[in-house]
Amino acid sequence: MSPSPCTAPIELGTLVAYWLGELDAESESRTEEHLLGCDACSKRLGELVALADGVRTLARAGGAHAVVTDAFVRRLIEQGVHVREYRVPRNGSVNCTVAPEDDIVIARLEAPLGDVKRLDMVEIDFEGRGLARAEDIPFRADSDGVVVTPRIDQLRALPASTTRMRLLAVDARGERVIGEYTFNHTPYGTTR
Amino acid sequence: MLKSDSDPVLDDAALARRVAQATPGTDREAEAELYRRLAPRVRLYGLRHLRSEASAADLMQQVLLMTLERLRAGAVREPERLASFVLGMCRMVVLDLRRGHARRERLLETYGETLMPEEAPPPSPDRARLMGCLERLSERERTVLVMTFYDDMPAGALARELGLSPANVRVIRHRGLERLRACVTGETS
Repeated sequence: MSPSPCTAPIELGTLVAYWLGELDAESESRTEEHLLGCDACSKRLGELVALADGVRTLARAGGAHAVVTDAFVRRLIEQGVHVREYRVPRNGSVNCTVAPEDDIVIARLEAPLGDVKRLDMVEIDFEGRGLARAEDIPFRADSDGVVVTPRIDQLRALPASTTRMRLLAVDARGERVIGEYTFNHTPYGTTR
Repeated sequence: MLKSDSDPVLDDAALARRVAQATPGTDREAEAELYRRLAPRVRLYGLRHLRSEASAADLMQQVLLMTLERLRAGAVREPERLASFVLGMCRMVVLDLRRGHARRERLLETYGETLMPEEAPPPSPDRARLMGCLERLSERERTVLVMTFYDDMPAGALARELGLSPANVRVIRHRGLERLRACVTGETS
């Protein structure tokens, strides 16, 4: 005995909008009635919710490398997440580590972004050569920099080492360096 | 789940009619099948409106018991509109649960988690795979998905935080989610 197949599957975009409370009352009601009568669409919503839950759990445990916002960091702290923060001045450096109790590490890279159209973040070696490049990172032109949360498992695995990052403004004329940032990492409980 | 040799398609309305037409409580097979189908759907409704697994489990139990009770009593006039009937029940019980929230919190404080119903955990994607799949998204896609799902934040609020338009956030979110799903389920290597 199987349920009837779905004749009008709900699109993924609508399922997400429903889950996030973005639909108007009429669309929400129509969507809910369909979901309560449809195994296939309900199953797809269940998969979406599980995926969202997985992303949330990873983010809370420092398992997602991402550029985020100050407001996001404030919410993490309000919710009891143990956040270690480092503010790195433009062309400056910071000594950093990860403590056992840290859930998430945040690096604030100070930078003037008022006239920037596109921002790239590049990991560079000691000669300034690019090792890895993150293109078109999100930023607010009216902010004083970008907030980055690296994966904490990768930080914990680092030996005493120095990592250098460079922010680049990119436009039709080419690219220019906004700032460079040096992280002198030491494993917790050791000295360099 | 009921199975026969040919596994015939039987829609929810047909099951509801079977329950309604049988002597109350005798068509256990149809009742069990209806419960099996409706339980995960009602749980999701509960999660969406109550944002709590425990409350969603409460809702699921109450709605399904009331639905079966009404079906047995012949009080569901249009079985072909069962989803609409269940939606009405869901709305009513959500209101009740919200009213009873404070009382429930007091009980929980007194008795702890032992009062909570057992729940089957939702199927979660493999952590290492999800981590790898997130890494493969563009920076904007990753930011939007992490910030969206951390707080279940709608596009409008996230757009204000990121300095983007809501439409832009929806486009990035949709593209990122499609790519993440495909990677996690192995549809793309």
